[in-house]
Amino acid sequence: MQRAALTSALCYRDAKAALNFLEAAFGFELTMLIEDNDGKLAHAEMGFGDSLIMIGNEWSQMHKSPASIDGFNTQTVHIHLDADIDAHCERARAAGFEILMEPEDQFYGDRTYRCRDPEGHFWTVGAPIRSVSVDEAEATSGLKVVKGWA
Amino acid sequence: MTSKVLVALRIKAAPLRVFEVFTADIGAWWKPNALFSFTPRSPGVLAFEGVSEWSRLVERLPSGKVFEIGPVRVWDPGRRLVFGWRQASFAPDMDTEVEVRFEPVGDETRVTVEHRGWDTVPIEHVARHRFPDTVFLQRHAEWWRALLTNLASRTAMDIKGSAREGDA
Repeated sequence: MQRAALTSALCYRDAKAALNFLEAAFGFELTMLIEDNDGKLAHAEMGFGDSLIMIGNEWSQMHKSPASIDGFNTQTVHIHLDADIDAHCERARAAGFEILMEPEDQFYGDRTYRCRDPEGHFWTVGAPIRSVSVDEAEATSGLKVVKGWA
Repeated sequence: MTSKVLVALRIKAAPLRVFEVFTADIGAWWKPNALFSFTPRSPGVLAFEGVSEWSRLVERLPSGKVFEIGPVRVWDPGRRLVFGWRQASFAPDMDTEVEVRFEPVGDETRVTVEHRGWDTVPIEHVARHRFPDTVFLQRHAEWWRALLTNLASRTAMDIKGSAREGDA
């Protein structure tokens, strides 16, 4: 099986609950689950498009869910969609995710929204809706594109 | 039954077709793994003997002997298959079980393998190679994932084969 070079691994207090709410909200599919002798989750992977994400417990003193550290996040996972982002947002809302920013068109040509899952992980979701030139992006944002604008 | 691995993969074919390839063609897509041999004389060729409940999964060894891996406990074509899974070295009180579910997702099938009951096999048992529990289960899950990938390839070949026959 072809693997992407980078994979995010997220920690949850209740990783099994996360498997359910991530499937309900985003349509992620469980592709691997390993349980130990006590029936506790040891390792899990979910697939989405050509990527996967690992879902685990707070497996060491230094691994925490946002739910255990006052809601702070130290990284977020971004979902790239080639589909109806507004419908995606409604599905996440229906699954109990808090919508922090409703779907909105961005200067760089994507429509995006931002949400928070039941344990406090932030997720950003974006779908391309039009292509934007460097000149237009710089003019509308006031930023300077240094490198890497397709 | 606890201590389990679960692996799932989507395959581009209808559930009944995938079920047929899983059962009738297991000798073709199954690839042995030296870490998890059924007997000291393995590998042989796997086969489901019989085509319904009360059939069994066996390994036909190069010597001509047949080793029973386990009895089929559920045979529900296109939906569900459950069978026992024992290695020759297992003591009588050791037993694991494999459940395979076939679910339609659009024009594909989501095949889920759940292999459970490894808690009945002590960590110090030869079948576990002295691996820590999670390492052993991880290796087993990776093997199942490779096996399901083979099943997907075999199903794709099979569909091409049937299409050619249909054209003729």
